[in-house]
Amino acid sequence: MALAHETHSRDVPADERPLLRRLIAKPEFGPLVLLVVLIVVFTAINPNFLSPLNVSNTFPFTVEFGLMALAMTLLMTAGEFDLSVGAVFGFSAVLMWTLFNQGLVPLPLAFVIAIAVAALIGLVNGLFVTRLKIPSFLVTLGMMLVVRGTALFVTDGFPQRTWNAGDQWIANLLVGDFYIGPFRLYMSLFWFILAAVIFWYILNQTKFGNWIQAAGGNPAAARARGVHVDRTKLILFMLCSAMAALAGVISSIRTSAANPNSGTGYELEVIAMVVIGGTALMGGRGTIVGTVLGVFILRLMRNGIVMIGVPGLAYNIFIGAIILGMMALHYGLERRNHAGN
Amino acid sequence: MLKNLKLLLAGAALAVALPAMAEAKTFYWISHGGPADPVWTYFLQGANQWAEDTGNTVNTSFHSGDVPSQQEAVRSAIAAGADGIVTTSPDPGSMNAVVDEAHAAGIPVININTPDPTVDFDAYVGMDLVVTGAQWAQYLVDKGLVKEGDFVWMPVEVPGATYGVQEEQGIRSVFEPLNITWEVTDNTLDQAEVITRMSDYLTANRDKIKAIIGLGDLVTGSVKRVFDQVGVKPGDIPVVGWGNSLDTTQEVLEGYVNAAMWQDPHATSYVGLSLANMAASGIPAGFDVLVGNLYEKDGAQLVDDILSGK
Repeated sequence: MALAHETHSRDVPADERPLLRRLIAKPEFGPLVLLVVLIVVFTAINPNFLSPLNVSNTFPFTVEFGLMALAMTLLMTAGEFDLSVGAVFGFSAVLMWTLFNQGLVPLPLAFVIAIAVAALIGLVNGLFVTRLKIPSFLVTLGMMLVVRGTALFVTDGFPQRTWNAGDQWIANLLVGDFYIGPFRLYMSLFWFILAAVIFWYILNQTKFGNWIQAAGGNPAAARARGVHVDRTKLILFMLCSAMAALAGVISSIRTSAANPNSGTGYELEVIAMVVIGGTALMGGRGTIVGTVLGVFILRLMRNGIVMIGVPGLAYNIFIGAIILGMMALHYGLERRNHAGN
Repeated sequence: MLKNLKLLLAGAALAVALPAMAEAKTFYWISHGGPADPVWTYFLQGANQWAEDTGNTVNTSFHSGDVPSQQEAVRSAIAAGADGIVTTSPDPGSMNAVVDEAHAAGIPVININTPDPTVDFDAYVGMDLVVTGAQWAQYLVDKGLVKEGDFVWMPVEVPGATYGVQEEQGIRSVFEPLNITWEVTDNTLDQAEVITRMSDYLTANRDKIKAIIGLGDLVTGSVKRVFDQVGVKPGDIPVVGWGNSLDTTQEVLEGYVNAAMWQDPHATSYVGLSLANMAASGIPAGFDVLVGNLYEKDGAQLVDDILSGK
């Protein structure tokens, strides 16, 4: 615990400041403001933005990104990236459904194998980064191509059929739908909340969480103090891949499609979610709560600009402009906060 | 006697082998499509089947809409001394220079899938996409599914790509005189993203959408999942579009899609390579081959069987 707290000890008066100042000083404050602003603006323009149907439609895809973003938060806090998560997202679902559709194994076992293979991919990423000292950006970029290419080669480019998932208990367990009042929700939301709580606890309340922050903040100093930096990073790479696989499997069941091309470009969106949430791009500081906010900011923004009726082909203009605006606001708040300290 | 017999057998074997060796040619099948786009896997199957049937070599590659990459592949085929090239047009005019280079090297180039009259291809095999667009629009008008002043939603995977642009051109020719308005929306090539974006748009614009035209296979094949998510019953909103995937044949059979266009992807590749082979043998391919069939529920099972390999 000592390592993480030392960095905060320079801001000693934290507890003596008024509640509002302390709230503003938190890295999650910026994304929270952004999220509230988004919701207010979109709802003001189109009240259906908060309609049960729209909220129900928005959640499932959002939490699939969220599962990846939570693990990426820990990895980025430890000072590393994983650009292969999008490819693993597509590959794992294809692997699971291929094993099942070919009649090789039952679906639950295929699911376990898919997660295990994903973890193995993460292990290889981690070994390249920690043993060969190659930057994770390059390692995972290469792995992204290997994994994506493997998915295409194995399937000949054909999507795997997932129509018969409905009768499987594991499909219902992972992404079965249910109603709470007018809201149609999926089990994936429950897994996302559970993962967020567990990851928050790990990052903020455990020795391993301290190791993660120390590994990203100053790895040399951390090693000198006995932190297992390499082992920590290895575990996080495996976790990141496994969570991407879980998200991919959930998505494949929900959308009834296991396409080898699924997940293309997700890695950058996931990293953007983590950074907008307040996790430091270069490691050393991470926030799970911020990431949850970041996930909702980016996905609600995509939903909202459609809801308010921007021209269909201008979609990306608005997305890009809003991201730039949000980042400016986010860093402005952060600078002001530091100046205030 | 035995010596003569050996000589005779050797001569016979040589006589059989030499022409066969001489006739084995190498063709390049180069596509702007994506390797995981369901419909392009059927095009690829057609190319591979042709290679198997004829004993010729067909080198295939996908370029996912990346024009420089596709141009580079054509130039590689020229450098490798290809007997013929079968390729698509990712953007109008984009293949002009490389096709000229192939012709200068004496290599015939057959255009498949998307026509491009701005390029000097030897022949075209595929659909007339402007006509296809007009057929979809005319179907909606003739069946009384849209009327003057209505609004039609047209989702597409890659806005600005040749296929969508030409289809919209045909649709415009029918809708504009009737004062029917439309909007094209960007939905990407990612299945989950397609469903999400289409669901968002449908939720936001449910009341004004009188019909949907799916400008690509992925978007048309996603209609069932989008309708189910948003709570739209099959048939509540008329849908026409592409029908080259099992997703869409099922949608037509279940009533989610009224009519879908079948472009016979296997045959397009197969015939394209046959024309390239013919041209490589010195018989010019001085004609185009047009394909395409708009099928409804009664014709959907046939397409479904073909796509299922039955």
